[in-house]
Amino acid sequence: MPRYLARRLGQALLVVAGVVMLTFSVMRLVPGDPAVAYAGPKATPDELAAVRERFGLDDPLPLQFVNYVRDLLTGDWGISLHTRRPVRDDLYQAFPASLELVGAALVIAIVVGIPIGVLAARYKTKFPDFGVRFTSMLAVSMPVFWLALTLQLVFAGNLGWVPIAGEYDSSLDTTSPLTLWTNITIVDALITGNWPIFTSTLEHLVLPALVVAAYPTGVIAQMTRAALIEESGQDHARLERALGFGETSILTRFALRPALSPVLSLIALVFAYSIVNGFLVEAVFNWPGLGRYAAESIKSLDTPAIAGVTLLIALVYTLANLVVDLLQGVVDPRARAR
Amino acid sequence: MRWHKRLLVAGVTGALALTASACAGGQVRGAGGTPAPQASTSTSQAAQANDSTFVYVPNLDVVTDWDPATSYSNEIVALSNIYEGLTRYNSQTKKAEPRLATEWTAADGGKEWTFKLRQGVKFHSGATMDAEAAKKAIERTIEKKGGAAYIWDAVDKIEAVDAATLKFTLKYAAPLDLIASSGYAAYIYDVDAVDPDGKKTAGTGPYTIDSWQKGKETELTLKAFDGYWGGWKPEQYKKVAFRVTPEITTAWQLLQKGEVNFVQRLNPQLFEQAGMTGNVQTSRSPSFQNLLVLFNTASGPAKDVRVRQALQAAIDYDGLVAALKGSAQKASGLVPQGLLGHVNGMEPKQDLAKAQQLLAEAGYGPDLPELKLSLTYAQGDEDQKLLVTLLSSALNKLNVTLQAKPMTWNAQWDLGKKQGQDIFVMYWYPDYPDAYSWFLNVFKSAEKPQFNLSYLKNADIDAQIDSLPQLTATDQLKADTAYQELQKKIIEEQAAVAVPYVQTYQRALTADVEGYVDNPAYPNVVFFYDLKRAT
Repeated sequence: MPRYLARRLGQALLVVAGVVMLTFSVMRLVPGDPAVAYAGPKATPDELAAVRERFGLDDPLPLQFVNYVRDLLTGDWGISLHTRRPVRDDLYQAFPASLELVGAALVIAIVVGIPIGVLAARYKTKFPDFGVRFTSMLAVSMPVFWLALTLQLVFAGNLGWVPIAGEYDSSLDTTSPLTLWTNITIVDALITGNWPIFTSTLEHLVLPALVVAAYPTGVIAQMTRAALIEESGQDHARLERALGFGETSILTRFALRPALSPVLSLIALVFAYSIVNGFLVEAVFNWPGLGRYAAESIKSLDTPAIAGVTLLIALVYTLANLVVDLLQGVVDPRARAR
Repeated sequence: MRWHKRLLVAGVTGALALTASACAGGQVRGAGGTPAPQASTSTSQAAQANDSTFVYVPNLDVVTDWDPATSYSNEIVALSNIYEGLTRYNSQTKKAEPRLATEWTAADGGKEWTFKLRQGVKFHSGATMDAEAAKKAIERTIEKKGGAAYIWDAVDKIEAVDAATLKFTLKYAAPLDLIASSGYAAYIYDVDAVDPDGKKTAGTGPYTIDSWQKGKETELTLKAFDGYWGGWKPEQYKKVAFRVTPEITTAWQLLQKGEVNFVQRLNPQLFEQAGMTGNVQTSRSPSFQNLLVLFNTASGPAKDVRVRQALQAAIDYDGLVAALKGSAQKASGLVPQGLLGHVNGMEPKQDLAKAQQLLAEAGYGPDLPELKLSLTYAQGDEDQKLLVTLLSSALNKLNVTLQAKPMTWNAQWDLGKKQGQDIFVMYWYPDYPDAYSWFLNVFKSAEKPQFNLSYLKNADIDAQIDSLPQLTATDQLKADTAYQELQKKIIEEQAAVAVPYVQTYQRALTADVEGYVDNPAYPNVVFFYDLKRAT
């Protein structure tokens, strides 16, 4: 296991190093002068020169790269050109909100996706299977932006069942101020027993989380179904049938655990993908996460911020894969030997 | 429990502990904040109970720079309600009006200005606003050299003659009353109380900061400054919240539900719908921002004035404005309505026959050699894209191929400074309400062009441009005439530019808001103090 862990960590570091090189190259290859983005569209030549000097934009490229890597390693992710604050601080502000949204969506996706995948496998080629496959195909293929707008219009705008937008009712900042520990609102509200903010966040979370959950639920359901069908055709399943176990019992007691191994890999990828996929959902629901930050950074060609978001997402992908590799080692010991 | 399971449990526990300890560490969100807006509750709670909150919906970050000296971005909306200048521009009268200065005089041909300051005005810090404080504020802004500090370039010396008298001596004549009304870099503030972190404010305006949470949906809330020199009436809004909403359809739904009071922009379709919605009122007014199509007068085929005139005549001005469905109106000259120098009767019209004739004279046209022209415009700007599409289609008929390239401003500007295109499309707006901005920046000769991206070099025009500040400061009638003549020279004789349209503001407000007037000198600014909630 230590060698397995070391190998996976080494691979993860290589990926991160590649992303760092890529983000730096993209920042410098984008046409136009980053100093203009910082100093404003009407900046004078003197102002532009001062900005270039401040950010070392006149240094030779290799030196700029060395400085960039050194700064990253010391926790300095640069200054955002549009918010004028450290990118790290901006990300720290925005990322927890995205985690909150995607976390809630993944809970929905796992709680719904795996059982309906089991249901579809249990009633393979029968009506429940068709129902699950059709619904999951629909969930996977529906444009997330359209789904967000439609659900918002119907359930928030017309029916008024849930709030239209926002993370929680901001007037609660006055009546029930939240003490921050993790910066994830719902978690902090739970830890500190701040029930008004907790319930308000839940209300606000329902629609965006459902929209973000649509894709992972569909994918997890389909993958669970396929993996279970494959497992239920294995030798051990035949033995279990011969011993008199029913189909449901075989699927849930014996086939589900080995079948979860590919599903776990998928969940890691889907988790990281959902953070990016959630950008559009965040825009529709005013969710104060990475999506809004990334959108504004792109609009203003804020290269340090764009690089920061890219690097963070790459780290999330890498970390998620690493965690899943370790989890697979637990769920399926054969994975450690591979 | 096997060792790898222990490892996992330890890892997860460690990660959680690290997250918890390394993160916020028990800070209170919105700490220091007094009442935040009742923004996301049910219909119109935000606008009821007149200790009410006015909720403004911007589509981007509210504040990126808290320093009143260097601020030069979206925060103009908030800062214009926190800080005040010596004067404020009135686009109806086209004149600067009293604000912190109650009266002023110009002498020595517009090179000496004396402002009498309002008495009894206090900064939010508690300090008294007097001539010495105002002098220090403007001098600090000049020294900082950030944002729009250049507007004070004409100033040679500032003197606090007495507590109520501020005297400016200028290097050259300039309309200082207009400069002092700028929405950028003209604020008077307590230099000892400036806080770049936005925890406190140093202005004299009617509102002061309540809470600022960067990146949050309700990013900023303001509260009434009790010591405001204008006093307070019960029906005025005592609190203001800025609820960032990037998506227009979401903003529209929030407005319909009465959760917000003011939406900065709606698309034409929603704006039309807003006009027919009971609890919503709309406001449409021209801005000071116009689109300039600058032709390369220095090199390439457009160096020939006949080609430039043909291009002017080929633009489908009416079609373009119609397609923009109310978000723009046809321009008349270079100077938008509401500014000194605006001229009526210069609305351009498409004339393809004239364009063809001019092109033929220049040696191009349907039965003549093909003309290829390069054009750059702003990437992602659908209005500019529409102009390019219409122009390209019109020119195709005349055997002219337009090679249009959408670019980011950075890249477009870089290329423009190297004379890399035949046609450069961009917007222009003045930093203070004076038409001089267009002429000085865009049409005055420059060895190294910054914004003179038509590369016009004309000594007569330069001399006339140089005379404008003094005329504006001393004789507005003559200034008006001079502006009109210059526009004719630049647009008609030199054909250095075509001005297809002026952008129009399309605002939507809840019906219970009274007193809203759009002032294009302060883009997107709502002066909340001037509003009241209808009972």
